[in-house]
Amino acid sequence: MQGWVTLALLLSLGVECSLGQNGVGELPVPRGLTLNPDLPAQTLSLTWQSDSSLFDLEIFHTELMNVVLNETVAVKTDPVTGLHSWTWHSPLPLECTSHSAHIRARNQQSVSQWSPLQTIPGSDIPEKSESNMFPQDKVVPVGSNMTFCCIVKEKEDFKEIMYGRQEMTATRLSRRTYAITATNQPVSGNTGTNVICCSQRLTLTGAVVFVGYPPGDEGLVCETRDLASAECSWKKGRDTGLRMRRSRTKYTLNGRDCLEANERKRWWCSSKAWEQSWTLVARNPLGTVHLMDSAQLTDRVHLLAPVNVTAVEVKAWSATLQWSWSVAAYKKLEMVCQLQLFAHELNSTRNYSGPGLSSVVLESLWPDVDYTVTLYCGSKHGFWKWGDKSAPYRIHTKMDRPDALDVWMWMDSSNTGCVFWKPLSVRKSHGALVGYEVSQSSAEEDGWTPVSLPPGNFSYPIILNNGSDITVAVAARNPAGLSQPSTVTTPAYRADSQLSMSELLSTNGSFVLSWQPNANASSGYAVEWVPTGCSGLCPVDWKKVPESDSSFTLNSDSLVAGVRYTVSVYALSTGAPTLLQRWQGYSQEMTPSQSVRELLPNQSGSDVLLSWKATAMENQRGFIRGYTIYLANAAHLELIANISDPEVQSYRVKGLSLSSYKFVVKAYTSAGEDAGATVAIKMEMDTADMLFVGILVPLGIMFCCLILISICCYKKREWVKKAFYPEIPGPKVPGDWSSPQGPLDVKPSPHSLVHIVESPEWDFTKEGLFPVPEEEEESENDNIEVDADSDEPALLRYYNQVVGDGSHGNQVSDSSGSSNTSVDSTQTEITYAGIQSPTSSQGACGGGGYRPQMQSVIGPAEPQIEFEADFQDDGLHAGYKPQCSWQLDSPEAENFSGSLGSPTSVTSSQFLIPESSEEKPQPSNTWFHNFLSGKS
Amino acid sequence: MAGRGTNGRHGSRGHAGRTAALARLLHKECIQLLELYRNSESLPSSPVDGGYLVSIPPLVPQLSDAEKISILHAALKECLRLLEDVITQEDAEFSDEDSEYKRKWKTVRDRLGHLLASTEQLLVEGQKFEAKVKEELDGQAVSGSFRLKMWIVRVLQDLVHWTGQTSDTLRSLPAEVEKAPKTMSRRTRRGAEKIRK
Repeated sequence: MQGWVTLALLLSLGVECSLGQNGVGELPVPRGLTLNPDLPAQTLSLTWQSDSSLFDLEIFHTELMNVVLNETVAVKTDPVTGLHSWTWHSPLPLECTSHSAHIRARNQQSVSQWSPLQTIPGSDIPEKSESNMFPQDKVVPVGSNMTFCCIVKEKEDFKEIMYGRQEMTATRLSRRTYAITATNQPVSGNTGTNVICCSQRLTLTGAVVFVGYPPGDEGLVCETRDLASAECSWKKGRDTGLRMRRSRTKYTLNGRDCLEANERKRWWCSSKAWEQSWTLVARNPLGTVHLMDSAQLTDRVHLLAPVNVTAVEVKAWSATLQWSWSVAAYKKLEMVCQLQLFAHELNSTRNYSGPGLSSVVLESLWPDVDYTVTLYCGSKHGFWKWGDKSAPYRIHTKMDRPDALDVWMWMDSSNTGCVFWKPLSVRKSHGALVGYEVSQSSAEEDGWTPVSLPPGNFSYPIILNNGSDITVAVAARNPAGLSQPSTVTTPAYRADSQLSMSELLSTNGSFVLSWQPNANASSGYAVEWVPTGCSGLCPVDWKKVPESDSSFTLNSDSLVAGVRYTVSVYALSTGAPTLLQRWQGYSQEMTPSQSVRELLPNQSGSDVLLSWKATAMENQRGFIRGYTIYLANAAHLELIANISDPEVQSYRVKGLSLSSYKFVVKAYTSAGEDAGATVAIKMEMDTADMLFVGILVPLGIMFCCLILISICCYKKREWVKKAFYPEIPGPKVPGDWSSPQGPLDVKPSPHSLVHIVESPEWDFTKEGLFPVPEEEEESENDNIEVDADSDEPALLRYYNQVVGDGSHGNQVSDSSGSSNTSVDSTQTEITYAGIQSPTSSQGACGGGGYRPQMQSVIGPAEPQIEFEADFQDDGLHAGYKPQCSWQLDSPEAENFSGSLGSPTSVTSSQFLIPESSEEKPQPSNTWFHNFLSGKS
Repeated sequence: MAGRGTNGRHGSRGHAGRTAALARLLHKECIQLLELYRNSESLPSSPVDGGYLVSIPPLVPQLSDAEKISILHAALKECLRLLEDVITQEDAEFSDEDSEYKRKWKTVRDRLGHLLASTEQLLVEGQKFEAKVKEELDGQAVSGSFRLKMWIVRVLQDLVHWTGQTSDTLRSLPAEVEKAPKTMSRRTRRGAEKIRK
């Protein structure tokens, strides 16, 4: 028994020890856990009773028992209710699915057991079978994240959830619930952003989320227009993006609804009475803005526009303006008004002040000017801003007499000149001018002689009859009257040539003039400038300078670039102006517009003298500083001289050879060179040179050549003889030829025939190559050796005779056949024509043109084989070999066909008729080689 | 919808032809309006769950043409009422700024009024049919902006459907229906006269 008790004690201790180690059982389980969901806020409040202050919390999505919260929190007991309370904000709308929670107490490592699960049902329970989406119509700020869930209706499949046009990745939370999370949401459109849940075939359900901004209004300002009520306005600021009526910004001013702004008409609120401080509250579902303003009424006066503005009295130089106010309280308000006068080049702004100002006198107006007046006012004390502008009002001032004219007289000769005056500006004419009146008087005549001129005239010519000075008075007239006359006396004429003028250099296009003060300049000075050399109607300009000044800057806008001006300074007094100084200059120098004139070259031996003349002054466009001379080559100009003295207008180009040359002469100013004038010259020899070069030199050369040829021929005389007059071997006749068959005393020189035959055609076409008269033939036969060596015409005659016989082949007799053959053998042209083509040679032979010696006994109609056999027989004999046999034996026979008519064929006589039968044919150019090598 | 093309017959069939042409034009505009709304709201083209809002007795073949027209006239009348409710509700809920979509709404509403007046002249005196609306635009039915949008889509779907039905029926009318205006009720005639004014 005692043992059992001990065992029981040990067991109980063991259990307590184990319980104590696990921490279970020591702490009481929290009681009465209740869940209170706030669905719009997506919060779940948990309340329970417990003596502990540290708790473990777990919240699940009930259906799938997914833990969405597992947290240990310290919650004290509410002293009033004695309950513990803790709130959880769910990222997911609580309607999406059922949520369950349980809780246990914790004390360091000791925990109680979990309380029973408490569940709030979602909208996906079977009892709610329809489709649904949460949250609905939520308004959230731009950039926020948000989770939407779609509960699919029973027996319907789920396909997708779209956020706007974007397909989202859905997460399944329960059997029927799917969720998406939209992150960093952009601002919505007019009707919000649609989140749509679709099945395969239907649009099941959806929600709209409105993403926007809290109000951005700023800058509340309150002011009064009638010195009693208030108008408060502000800037709208950033668009909230919330168009849905219940999401729009609502405004209250000092607690009162701002109807004007709430109806989205204007961004201002009105209040019937002025209050010291103003508070505007702008509120929308995403936020609230408080705008404050406070001011005294007198510091916020914004006057209305003056009405009924009229001009009650308009004069030439002034006008009186009146107006009225629509608010009676303005009459006692100290105010300041501003008038804006608009006219052509006469705009001005004027300020006036006074209590309840309603009339002002506008001074310093200009006559005959159309003014437009605009008026607005403000409170003088505590000026806030200018009030509204009145409607524009038009005033036209009356005319007045013109101002005096600016008159000058310019003399272009000793007794002629012109009076000039400058046109009056609008400010000085005081009304449209109707004309000018010019009067002149001289010492000889009493009184003035007036002349009326139309308004377009600005000059009048003056002629001095007897050289005495005259005085001219000019006045302008408009409908209001005549101006004060301006007088001027003729200055003494001084030609430019009479003065030593200095060159005037410009500074940035302007002339800076200075002169010595003159004691006589009681009325100041006049600076006159006119284009140099101008005559007739010249653009004379002038400027009058006070006597206190002795310098003047003539601006570039009154000068023309590239025009030379004569600038004169006159001292003005009661009498005639006195010339003090005169200059000439260019406001801006330019390159000459034309090249030098009359550029002429003049050859002198091997030199060329170039001379020219400067271009006219109006074309110089600058002071000519010199000339440059160029030699024009094909591609460029080669500078050969630079003449820096503009007075030098010629240049000598020396040492030119016989050729053609182009010279370019350019004048240059400080701005550069002109385009240049070009002149060309072909250098020719002098007469003596021509005689020497043209006649004597060729003669000398010819003489030298003749001497050289003579020496050469003398030294090579043997060879020359052999080459041009070789010995003609006597024919070596075979046995059958021993008995003379006819006269065979003709032995023409083969080399003579070489000279004769130059063209094969020549022989056949020339009619002159017919037999010569009988007596000449006889004399030739007698002296054949002499003729062959020395008398070529004789041979020609003989040859022509023979050829003539050949050409009349049918008439050839047997006795003349051998003679023909002999001659033909030396006539290369004819011989080749008979040999090269067997057919033709047969025909030629048969026709009697070429007949070898044996042919006289063989009829023309003999077969060719017999003909060849005869030649073979002939080849056995040493001595003369007719061309036919040679041609047949020679392996090069065919090649000679190409030599017909060529020089080679001509010289072929060398080997066609060798000196001896053993001699082989030599190359056609052998004589030339011999000549060069010196062989004889 | 197939077969609702221009056949040119209405030109020779007088009033019924003109009414058929008007119904066809309105049907096209309703399709455009539905498309416009879906595009502006980025809504899918799949139909909205719930079927047609307006229900009528089935158009069985045993019904005469005049009876069919009377039934369709009743459906179109309900469509017009729903359309006006939609315009009012949308202006109240969302921005009342002018847009092409809003202008189209008003064009369809006006033309539907003309079609009702025109078909009324084709009705047979004494025959009266009623159409029913399954869901009304009250607080619970369309709570939430999305449901309002879906309800707008459904109204437009109904408009497309019933104007199409009317167009088809009017096109298939034989010539003798032209006589119907002779039996037009005094009330209807007054209404027609009002429209002419």
